[in-house]
Amino acid sequence: MSRDWSGELVSCIRGADRVAANAILTDWAETRTYEEAVTHLLTPALEHFGKLWADKGGETSLAQGYVAAKVAEDLIGRVLAAREAEGRTVETKLGPVVVGNVEEDYHPLGRKMLVAFLRSAGWEVHDLGVDVPPEVFLDKVQEVDARVVGASAMMFSTAKNVVGIRQEIERRGLTGRVQLAVGGAVFKLRPELVQEFGGDGTAPSALHAPALFEELWQRSLSLDSVTK
Amino acid sequence: MNPKPATQVCVACSIFRNEIERLQAEAKLDLPVRFLGSMLHMVPEKLEKRLQEVVEEERAKGHEIVLAYGDCCPNMTGIGSAEGVDRTQGFNCPEILLGGETYRKMRREGVFFLLPEWTLMWRKVFQGTLGLQGGTAQDFMKEMHTRLVYLDTELEPVPEKELAEISEYCGLPVERMKVSLEPLLASLMKAATRVPHE
Repeated sequence: MSRDWSGELVSCIRGADRVAANAILTDWAETRTYEEAVTHLLTPALEHFGKLWADKGGETSLAQGYVAAKVAEDLIGRVLAAREAEGRTVETKLGPVVVGNVEEDYHPLGRKMLVAFLRSAGWEVHDLGVDVPPEVFLDKVQEVDARVVGASAMMFSTAKNVVGIRQEIERRGLTGRVQLAVGGAVFKLRPELVQEFGGDGTAPSALHAPALFEELWQRSLSLDSVTK
Repeated sequence: MNPKPATQVCVACSIFRNEIERLQAEAKLDLPVRFLGSMLHMVPEKLEKRLQEVVEEERAKGHEIVLAYGDCCPNMTGIGSAEGVDRTQGFNCPEILLGGETYRKMRREGVFFLLPEWTLMWRKVFQGTLGLQGGTAQDFMKEMHTRLVYLDTELEPVPEKELAEISEYCGLPVERMKVSLEPLLASLMKAATRVPHE
């Protein structure tokens, strides 16, 4: 009987066991490449865990989410190291995008998971950290020519500061071209706030963010072409 | 000081139990208080449901309500700004105890705050609810924070044994910081005098 690699990886994530998860990646890559592991092992495992996370959020722990992100980060690190060892160019396929915690928000976990899952999906991510004022978000957007901003906020009190990012997008004449993705516990529990605070979209978990960013990137391209 | 009426009641997180009871004992706060368990914080939807129930119960008795809570559930702002209700200002309990400026400065420095009640049940919080075990706990805490700070309200002996355990478990240094009850009292009084009267 063939080994259920993906199932084992999900079990390690659910056990919040990063060491065991990495051991599975090592075993898997003995006869394959780490790049193949992204598609054939990590992606199905994260999709499985992401479904549990979205459907049974209360039954998934902070530690499980953290370990899922770290496993993705660890694998991407191995992929990049392997490419460099082979003298291949290390390049990302998608983006660039800019992410950060909104002003006065100091809860980095969700954002760090977002960064890990975006990078594992091939996005070039510029991570601005916690407590990021709107003008800093938009300065970076214009500097790297990003089309999507990801703003993370955990609580209602700080999520209100998404409004400032929306206003800054408008003030700089970037409406439509720059799409605003919002995420964090409060948006999951109160999805009506996405629109109320000026967001263009959200995802049920950080694991689902790559699909959201792709959707918003395409929307930016189509709106940009209309205005040109 | 008595903010007002016997028709007011405070609904507070048990994280503040000792501190609020001291303020009552010193006659600085003249409000009856209902405490709800602080572990509700770990499941915000449950906290919100319980708070709404309690607020409705107290309203049915004709009481105005002062909430001693941070922004701990998705609709805390809505609950705390309803007619006849107001809330202590602050994102969370450390900010209510420290005041906004000190809290923000320390948070920017990467501080993780330990309050007396949760320090005593740290295993339940870290290992049970958050699921942080072994090396993952250290990886997580070191990635997110730079140090632990125990907020000592000087009502109980500093739980040195537990602080040492948490420090070892998280792989972070722990500091002790004496905290006055004045910011908490001021926040409660402000909320009590702000409650919109029907």
